Amino acid sequence: MKRIPAVAARELASLFVSPVAYVVLTLYTLLAGFFFLLGVVSFVETLRQAQTFQAFDFLQQMNLNDALITPFLGSMSVVLIFVIPGVTMGLFASEKANGTDELLLTSPLTIWDIVLGKYLAAAAFVLLLGLLVGFFPALLFRYGDPELGKTAAGILGLVLTGMAYAAVGCFASSVTRSQMIAFILAFVILLLLLIMGAVAELGAMGSAAWLEGFLGWLSVGEHFENLSQGLVDTSDVAYFLVLVAVGLLLTKAAVESVRWR
Amino acid sequence: MIEARGLSKRYGDLVAVDGVSFQIGRGEVVGFLGPNGAGKTTTMRMLTGFLPPTDGTALIGGHDVFGEAQAARRAVGYLPETPPLYPEMDVQGYLRYVATIRDVPRGQRRAAVDQALERCGLGEVRRRVVGSLSKGFRQRVGLAGAIVHSPPVLILDEPTVGLDPIQIREIRSLIKELARGAGEHAVILSTHILAEVEAICGRVILIHRGRKVQDAPLVELTAGGRKLEEIFARETARDVVEEGAAEPAERAEPAEEAQP
Repeated sequence: MKRIPAVAARELASLFVSPVAYVVLTLYTLLAGFFFLLGVVSFVETLRQAQTFQAFDFLQQMNLNDALITPFLGSMSVVLIFVIPGVTMGLFASEKANGTDELLLTSPLTIWDIVLGKYLAAAAFVLLLGLLVGFFPALLFRYGDPELGKTAAGILGLVLTGMAYAAVGCFASSVTRSQMIAFILAFVILLLLLIMGAVAELGAMGSAAWLEGFLGWLSVGEHFENLSQGLVDTSDVAYFLVLVAVGLLLTKAAVESVRWR
Repeated sequence: MIEARGLSKRYGDLVAVDGVSFQIGRGEVVGFLGPNGAGKTTTMRMLTGFLPPTDGTALIGGHDVFGEAQAARRAVGYLPETPPLYPEMDVQGYLRYVATIRDVPRGQRRAAVDQALERCGLGEVRRRVVGSLSKGFRQRVGLAGAIVHSPPVLILDEPTVGLDPIQIREIRSLIKELARGAGEHAVILSTHILAEVEAICGRVILIHRGRKVQDAPLVELTAGGRKLEEIFARETARDVVEEGAAEPAERAEPAEEAQP
């Protein structure tokens, strides 16, 4: 167990000496700023119109959380499907390309040491992304009074989504030696996870209600939405944890599979 | 310290290694010889537990490489054909990492790294980034990584490839020193440079087309002024005549080919 932090620390350090970490952090923050600005501008505009038309009922209901923070976090969660594959693509693929997998697999490290160490590094990076995004809603506490609990739940949802995506990215990286393929594979899987709900809702599955229900459950959207609306339900949290567990189990199997050939 | 019992590796119909057995004791330096594609790398990978054998077992210090993987791996220092380096790390950071994952206790890590740096002549480049080093230095960093945890068993896959003559001499004397010194390491090193074997090995194991064709002390082989080169040529040629008709001509090693 004590070796996991060593693997994680090396992985994080190598993320931060490569340009990948900086490109991802810069672009993600930039996008966050852009979406946030867009949100604020449209919030102010809506407010002004409501006042002009004296729609007092509407004004009563309008709040920073529903009109600004929740949609903002929703956009940022979609952006994650581009960002996380960039972070995770090198985790295993680069070891294979470097030949360093031979070092790891002939050392006393167990496969779980390797997989968990690398995943922890990716998860730490996700936390950093969550902090950066959290900065924007935090600004609103200075100028308005959004609900703290609801905002925190939304950011938790974003971080959990990122963690689940990172596990998927780990798996994609573990099945190939090419970082490019790892990126594309992770991106496609995440995209499928994202649109699964829409497919289920369209009724494309015909009359198989259980399949529709399953695909709906599998889709990230609903679980994230619940959290971002302030509903911290164990079943939604469990969904993300299941995704992490499945991703890591598959990764472990893929790393181990070099021994089967 | 190192024992192979009927090691075989097959990839479908391809037989890369075919029933190889040998034992190597403390203080022995064994040259593992064979033409390219003879199965040297595959055999070494099976000894280190990187590849599971199709048949047979490998034991390191009495521990089954797969049954008691942890104990066996702790006892091995392994330098693969391409040194497993992280180009973005600096030399001492890399060695510290290797020492950590090789279970060197925290308090002894610094000393272990310093010793490995010194033994491999890396003192002046300890803070350099691995990716910026010349091939010779990288090879030495790889070797330093293999010995940083003072393993009783060393498995070196072509340790002097790509080095200049002076570096080759240094590495050779280092390997000899490791075998003779207080540690009494058991060393197996693969090569196809016959002069290297004559310079440092006490014993020769020759494999050809995946089979062991010769296993004898060097002095015995070269007794009466015979050249190792002649023996090598004779053994590898004889096999072709004996098996050429029955066996497929190609005996490639897929694992080796997979290397970039």
